[in-house]
Amino acid sequence: MAMTTDDERLPCGVALEPLVTQVADAQPPADPAHQAACPYCQAALRILNQSWSDVQALTRQPVPIPPQLTAQIMLRVRSLARHVTDSILLGHPHGETRVSHAVVRRAIQRLAVAVPGVVFASVRAVPHEPPDPARLNVAVRLVVVFGPAIEALADAVRLVVDRRIRVLTGAEVSRIDITIDDIAEPTD
Amino acid sequence: MIPQVDDRVLIQASRDGDLDAFEALVRRHHPAVYRVALRMLSSEADAQDATQETFVRAWRGLGRFRCESETSTWLYRIVTRRCLDVIGARRPSEPLGEIELPSHLDVADVAEQRERLRAVTRVIGGLPGDQRAALVLRELEGLSYEQVADVLETSVPAVKGRIHRARLAVMKETAAWR
Repeated sequence: MAMTTDDERLPCGVALEPLVTQVADAQPPADPAHQAACPYCQAALRILNQSWSDVQALTRQPVPIPPQLTAQIMLRVRSLARHVTDSILLGHPHGETRVSHAVVRRAIQRLAVAVPGVVFASVRAVPHEPPDPARLNVAVRLVVVFGPAIEALADAVRLVVDRRIRVLTGAEVSRIDITIDDIAEPTD
Repeated sequence: MIPQVDDRVLIQASRDGDLDAFEALVRRHHPAVYRVALRMLSSEADAQDATQETFVRAWRGLGRFRCESETSTWLYRIVTRRCLDVIGARRPSEPLGEIELPSHLDVADVAEQRERLRAVTRVIGGLPGDQRAALVLRELEGLSYEQVADVLETSVPAVKGRIHRARLAVMKETAAWR
């Protein structure tokens, strides 16, 4: 390709760099009059445009995402996180039952997002003070829709958790702290 | 998928140990992370490994991420570093794999189109790592020069220089192929 000399200039003296930028970034020419009249610039631009169209074609090619990739990632992350799992201890005359904090959190999360107006809930278990293996406190983060009174939504979440979590999991939740993190953008 | 929830909320929830929130982040961002890894490494297996490693590092680094930059920028930074490590560890003579391109074009054009795109892929795969990263982020992911500089933790002029050299190499090689 007779496009460049050693210092990346065309025989007409124009540097190649601005021509490459012109093509790749779709910029206007720095010297339109020269470019319109110069056969070297026109030839170089023709070649650059053809070459760059291949890069643009590659950009448009969809990249198939491996379907199991999220599951593979989460398998590794969950194995890393496993050691921090704690549990509730439910006493019984003939043994003991342990319910992972993760189970309690998941149950509270599902109860919370079932409250109309709540679009996202994240739950963190907080150790009970004084230490009590049958009880825990939770901190709940919510994202809610715009419209309903936020305080009433928080109360509704607290109420449903208070009523249902003991039955569902056996856990005694002593305290439910709620933080409203965001208001969800309306979606079409 | 939790489309309405801001990344910052998911990050905070993930920091609190909420794996469902982290999984939502993974679902939201893993296609872009995988695309960058595949474009940089030209190997599906290596790209999958790099994507997994990126999110494992992100999980471990949640406590240090202060949401001062976009989540995507943070993840691009991690995956790019990972890919540069992989590229640096490869033996110089190690052949690069080729991306399998989907064929949905007219049959007569498929072979030529496929060859041209393979040629571009080969040229990109042969670029030095820093140029390859800058070109992939700018041209294939559509980041601005400023965003690329942020991801690569360098200056905008340095990024422009790398991208220019990469573009020139790609254009020369593909023009020669024609």
